[in-house]
Amino acid sequence: MIARDDVRDVLIIGSGATGALSAMVLAQAGLDVICLEQGGWIERKDFVHSHTDWSWQRQTNWNPDVNRRLHADGYPVHSDSSQVLMWNGVGGSTNAYGAIWPRYRPSDFRKGDEHGLQPNWPISYEEIAPFYERVDRIVGVSGLCGDPAMPPREECPTGPLPFGLAAQRLAKAFDKLGWHWWPVEAGVISRDYDGRPACNGCGMCNGCPRGSMSLFSQSVWPKALAAGAELKTHARVLRIETGADGRASGAIWKNRITGAEERTRARVVIVAANGVGTPRLLLASDNLANSSGHVGRNLLHHTLVGAQIWVDEPVNAQMGYIASLFSREFAETDISRGFVNGFNFNCLTSTPSPGEMAAGWLTNTRAPWGAGHHDWIASRFGHSIGFFAIGDDLPSPDNRVFLNDEATDEDGVPVISMHYEPGENDRRMMNFMLDRMVDVADAAGAFDVALQDYRDESGVYRTPAWHMIGTCRMGDDPEDSVVNGWHQSWDVPNMFIVDGSVLATGGVVNPTPTISALALRASEYIRDNFAELSYTTKTIPK
Amino acid sequence: MNKTSNIVAHHRPNLLVEALADLVGELIPGNEEWPSGRDVGVQYSLQLRFIEEKGDASLPALTAALVAIGAPFGNLDGAARLEAVQNLEASEPKLFGWRRDAAYFAYYATPGVIEVINGRGTPLHARPHLNGYDLPPFDRATQTPTHGRGHWIPTEAVARVDVSTLELGRRITTAWGMKR
Repeated sequence: MIARDDVRDVLIIGSGATGALSAMVLAQAGLDVICLEQGGWIERKDFVHSHTDWSWQRQTNWNPDVNRRLHADGYPVHSDSSQVLMWNGVGGSTNAYGAIWPRYRPSDFRKGDEHGLQPNWPISYEEIAPFYERVDRIVGVSGLCGDPAMPPREECPTGPLPFGLAAQRLAKAFDKLGWHWWPVEAGVISRDYDGRPACNGCGMCNGCPRGSMSLFSQSVWPKALAAGAELKTHARVLRIETGADGRASGAIWKNRITGAEERTRARVVIVAANGVGTPRLLLASDNLANSSGHVGRNLLHHTLVGAQIWVDEPVNAQMGYIASLFSREFAETDISRGFVNGFNFNCLTSTPSPGEMAAGWLTNTRAPWGAGHHDWIASRFGHSIGFFAIGDDLPSPDNRVFLNDEATDEDGVPVISMHYEPGENDRRMMNFMLDRMVDVADAAGAFDVALQDYRDESGVYRTPAWHMIGTCRMGDDPEDSVVNGWHQSWDVPNMFIVDGSVLATGGVVNPTPTISALALRASEYIRDNFAELSYTTKTIPK
Repeated sequence: MNKTSNIVAHHRPNLLVEALADLVGELIPGNEEWPSGRDVGVQYSLQLRFIEEKGDASLPALTAALVAIGAPFGNLDGAARLEAVQNLEASEPKLFGWRRDAAYFAYYATPGVIEVINGRGTPLHARPHLNGYDLPPFDRATQTPTHGRGHWIPTEAVARVDVSTLELGRRITTAWGMKR
């Protein structure tokens, strides 16, 4: 064991979007910040985007599914249901995400009031709204303000991305149905911004080595490092340590280069290891911060189904940013539909690869082999549009991540297991979503439509789970939540959780904008209260 | 693998690639516009990717499976070749699916095939990320929505809904998703 005598001001565990923001805020305030990251830097040349076989590598080496990619920087997650999509390394999953950038709605924070099947958040939309704006400026979000289906917002830092033929086709379909639509907001810059080049419309939007899509390794970490933050890569945290006073004293971690175990001590510990990694670490640290029993529970993925349509006229949706528009027609609860909560349509463009399309992109609809193959691809590539419906799933304590008693990883940490099963409300919502997708296909004049419910041949729902949230949720009540409204552990007063695990509900949107805004807010709270947090032994409700 | 195929595999080091060439020629046949999978060399990519995915030790079994359906097809006529591949698909659908998909990926990454797609009027770059596509910028004058549709509920206006009529605990939806 290599132990250092010095005590750092702040130890951050995980260097993804939220760890990056925390490091930037706290280092810029002059605090002594160290961040431990189990993976390494992903250099531009490491991305597959410039390889001739990039489409194949997106299935293998660049597959965001940790159990498909099997990269040494990652760790296995035993899942009996969901596909586990994430990336371990500097910048975290922003290295491979799609950066669709919508916000929560005010009602998402008040589901306890609305129906009581989910908790209220301890904060409101109005409290987070300024942080949305500020994160958008950091990221350079593109989009169009003025959406009547959302609270007013400032002008997006960069204007809307090109509105291609697929977007225009879907917009007309929504008009025909009398449904809402609006150009997509994206964590992708539509003009040169903050030293990064504008999106060139390549369509390969799972990560972006040119940096047009905000990879936090390129947009935020340089600022944190310039401010003096120390980023230690290949440092896999094994457990968080606590003292007799109940405060976190630091962490034991493995140096993956030397193999040595090291100890880092800190006055404040921030956990930013995502909705799987954070509960795993807490559970592996003698069930830390879990007096509520909620660590790892209430896993939310969103209620997700997909569709692909094909139209006669070329839409050439192989070009351009992966997403085109939102429809928020069904975002709010309407009991007459037979369920609570709502959903959005996240409308895409299409795959940039004819190979991916032939092999069943999005809906597993494959080109036939043999005589009909070329006619199939000729009529479909350049004629395809994809879209998702993404809904607010209800929490269940049985949907969770938990330590596997029988298996450990190469560093001796118990392997994490995951279980997720849609509940009754979610199943009803999915049926409604799929029916509405057929409505969209009809209105768009599609000659064919294929649906995707993510159920396998045994009926198990195997959603592609980018969104792994809720597993350390925030709340007003220590018995029903893991952290308070400032992300502060109820049990360990100098430990904060800033990643997506704290989200109390999932909303109807991709969560990274909300996670980022919350992390910015929490980091500023830590900055502004650092002196007190350096000695306090009690967490009070927010 | 039976004894005969062992002997054949041992004495014909190119047997596997010959058999794969015949297979991809059936999966992706050529015509006057499109090259066949065989013509653009999909068999070579397929062989390497099979090794990467399944391991070197899996090659004899792959060879044996192809030999078992009569590959290389030699003088087999078109109908017999089609039947052979259909038999392979039926006998091991999962592995067949992997080979088919891998063949598709390799085929459409080939410069000659990308050229055909461009020639049909569908823009496609082999490596789009390098230079992207030239797309017209968003036109605020004509593309900003004017429909005026959409609503949201302010925080203070969130009202209680009666969920008792939903009977979420009593009425169980067993048929959900695409199979209803």
